[in-house]
Amino acid sequence: MKVELFYTPGCEKCADNKDELRTVATELVPDLVWRELNVLDELDYAVEVGVITLPSIAIDGEVLFSSLPTCRQLRRELIKRLGKVV
Amino acid sequence: MTLTIGRVASVVKVSTDTLRYYEREGLIAPTSKSRGGYRLYDGDAVRRVRFIKQAQHCGFTLTEIRGLLALRADNAACCGDVRRVALEKKLQLEAKIKAMKGMSKALDRLIAACKNGTRPLDDCPILAALQKGQRQ
Repeated sequence: MKVELFYTPGCEKCADNKDELRTVATELVPDLVWRELNVLDELDYAVEVGVITLPSIAIDGEVLFSSLPTCRQLRRELIKRLGKVV
Repeated sequence: MTLTIGRVASVVKVSTDTLRYYEREGLIAPTSKSRGGYRLYDGDAVRRVRFIKQAQHCGFTLTEIRGLLALRADNAACCGDVRRVALEKKLQLEAKIKAMKGMSKALDRLIAACKNGTRPLDDCPILAALQKGQRQ
């Protein structure tokens, strides 16, 4: 599973609980690919994926969070995707 | 510096109706009123209207501009916050451009399907393609 966090440097909202989210995802998903993408460098890709607000999180190429979720929200989404029962 | 609404309008090249509209939208406010009840502005109003015009030129809506002006006045905000807003606008514009390019390509296909413009409407391939899409 691929989780991509789109952010812009210097943005307080983008840095909020980024590390905790990565930890949640890493612990939960065995084959996780976690990417943090600076939109200043990856603008075309962000447009392709459909990012329109920052920060955003896309899972397997689909924007699922248009602002940073709580750890609980991310965990719930990942579990759903893994096909496990919450 | 004290300016009447007419003077501000003339300096920034917008109508007085526009300035009144900006006032109703909470983007500018007169600093005082004359004895006759006319709105009076200071130099900051001119700077704000220029800011609004420039932001509109970059695609920002008045609601977004209100947010930008609030951000400008927020001591806790930094340049990175403003850049995030500008980047979000850019992403939204690029998404619209992408959608419009898709529409343009769809029109290309429809136009290409019509080789003969003299056929009756019943045989019009463009209308037929649109009707087919309607049924789906």
